[in-house]
Amino acid sequence: MHSVFGRGNAMAAYALSVLAGLTFCCFLSTVFLDYRTPATINTRQVVVKSIPDYSASREKNDLGFVTFDLKTDLTHLFNWNVKQLFLYITAEYQTPSNEFNQVVLWDKIVLRGENAVIDLKNIHAKYYFWDDGNGLRGHKNVTLTLSWNIIPNAGLLPNVGAIGSHSFAFPAEYTTARV
Amino acid sequence: MNHYAMKEYRSWNLDYDGQGRSEKISRLIITLFGVVGLVWGYIIQQFSETVYVLFAGFFLAACLTVPPWPMYRRKPLPWQKPRPAPREEGSETQSPKTKKKK
Repeated sequence: MHSVFGRGNAMAAYALSVLAGLTFCCFLSTVFLDYRTPATINTRQVVVKSIPDYSASREKNDLGFVTFDLKTDLTHLFNWNVKQLFLYITAEYQTPSNEFNQVVLWDKIVLRGENAVIDLKNIHAKYYFWDDGNGLRGHKNVTLTLSWNIIPNAGLLPNVGAIGSHSFAFPAEYTTARV
Repeated sequence: MNHYAMKEYRSWNLDYDGQGRSEKISRLIITLFGVVGLVWGYIIQQFSETVYVLFAGFFLAACLTVPPWPMYRRKPLPWQKPRPAPREEGSETQSPKTKKKK
């Protein structure tokens, strides 16, 4: 510590160690919080088509078209250790060929400070609802769930599921009309 | 580095007691600002404010303890006077030798 550089260096190193400690305290203050909250999803239009999946096998696979409503209030989830929420809606169902299918249909980023009261009506899925076969037509129990991935300043990146989901059935006949 | 520059450089140094005190003071200031910043950031739920308060403490501590203020130079050690070189009066050969001993 006898020189100017030595003192400046020691001080900067100590300040960074303190910063690491403060960051850890920030993490500790939020790690046990419960980030679940209710959300309601409803489907409006549900149709299924049988068309070739050129991105995969070129065989005719089932493609679902779903429009839905989403309503939830995520305002209270934000705190000093949440920078943004990554919302996504997954469709989950079981088919004879797969025990568990999970398809992401829609997502949205909500930054801290933005409006976190979500009230969407009759929105289209952002991503294709492909089945890897013919499992969608006439399926009785497909479940839509909203989940969010919390992006913090420091700490874990938890995936939290909303309380509440919506189950619906696909029609028994393929649609040939344009959707 | 000639003799004059050497002396100039050494004038930035603290004495032993001052080194200890400067480190103690800087750590105290940074820790204090860190704790206050953490509480403040928690109250307003903004971690960036915590970081800014900590940086403010760092700059305050830097201003108070990095420059060789007189308060850190009050107890110089009573070094003994350098002994004269044993032999050879030539100043050309003498000066590098004494420098090395320092």
